[in-house]
Amino acid sequence: MQFDAIEPGVYPELIHPPYKSTVKRGPTLAPLRVCDEQPTTTNLFASPKLILPHDMDLTAQGEGEPLGEKIVVTGRVLDEDGKPVRNSLLEVWQCNAAGRYRHKKDQHDAPLDPNFTGFGKMLTDDDGRYRFVTIKPGPYPWGNHHKAWRPAHIHFSMFGNVYAQRLVTQMYFPSDPLFEYDPIFQSIPDAAARQRLISRFSLEQTVDDKMLAYEFDIVLRGRDATPMGL
Amino acid sequence: MTSKITTSQTIGPFPHEAWRWAVDMTAGVDSNAPKITVTGAIFDGDGVAINDAWIEAWMPDSAPLETAHAIPGYRRVPSGEQGDFTLQLTRAQATGAGKPAAYVTVFARGLTRHQFSAVFLEDDAGLTQSALLGQVPPQRRDTLIARKQADGSYLWNIHMQGPQETVFFDYT
Repeated sequence: MQFDAIEPGVYPELIHPPYKSTVKRGPTLAPLRVCDEQPTTTNLFASPKLILPHDMDLTAQGEGEPLGEKIVVTGRVLDEDGKPVRNSLLEVWQCNAAGRYRHKKDQHDAPLDPNFTGFGKMLTDDDGRYRFVTIKPGPYPWGNHHKAWRPAHIHFSMFGNVYAQRLVTQMYFPSDPLFEYDPIFQSIPDAAARQRLISRFSLEQTVDDKMLAYEFDIVLRGRDATPMGL
Repeated sequence: MTSKITTSQTIGPFPHEAWRWAVDMTAGVDSNAPKITVTGAIFDGDGVAINDAWIEAWMPDSAPLETAHAIPGYRRVPSGEQGDFTLQLTRAQATGAGKPAAYVTVFARGLTRHQFSAVFLEDDAGLTQSALLGQVPPQRRDTLIARKQADGSYLWNIHMQGPQETVFFDYT
């Protein structure tokens, strides 16, 4: 595949002072554009055996039902040509409805839910589609500055179809009042690129009286290396 | 007409539970092929250890030697409290001279997008002919080369900033 240079402002700034921990961790030198065959033509192969029975239903991993609003999240993973990224490993993780992660270092004074771990994984299908059931995550404070609260989000980790397509990002929910105050979201200079991280409510994907649905399509870098007509 | 890409966001501080399956899988990898150990630590611009980074390694030429595993040729490890990490790699005979011992991807809280890098071995006779290393300015190549230690393992540190800032790639 061919990987075009990213337009300015689409990627978040690596050093974005309002997000304090970027200041000493973000590389200062521009990434080196290199040509290398294997990262752009091949990938690791994830066996379907990796996907466990409840990896795509985060509400079914405990003894009982987790608390909170049960939702469906679905979408398609595509490349820059709009072609589906098929049979590709995708990981998700999130906090619970109260805004608490299952992690020993999460100090937020909100309860853990014994019936919710907050993580899953799946493979995209032949249409590039993924779908999982979860609990809508809550906002939570993170100590970056006074009254620093993250907008509700779900973390996504994608492996693509070639190695250089790897992407980790966060999916947000429509109309979150915290967007304008969040330095992680605002570290992306381009407003349209920020908007593409916000899922859309979908009545079509909503499941009867069971759960509302949110759609989030993902476009990974990379397009067909063969020019048209050759 | 090309679609607009989805941008990146940090992994944040809390992926450990979600990412553990691959750490467990990495710990269980075994093969009869020659193995090498690369240890190191990851540091920020003040030389402070990054204790919540994640290192992924990918060895496309070694994958055929690890077909019994769920993701052949792939490793994932978290950094420890001292920023420390250890990668147990398989060295495939098929790996041509001058090829990286592994392609490496770095993730961390405070890193707004993942960084691609690669680690080479200093005693690889083909380093001077390496197609990938040859694209790196000579004065920065050392940042990608692991040094052999007395015990036979290799040492490779990752510096996010500073005079030894590791070379990170953007593939074309």
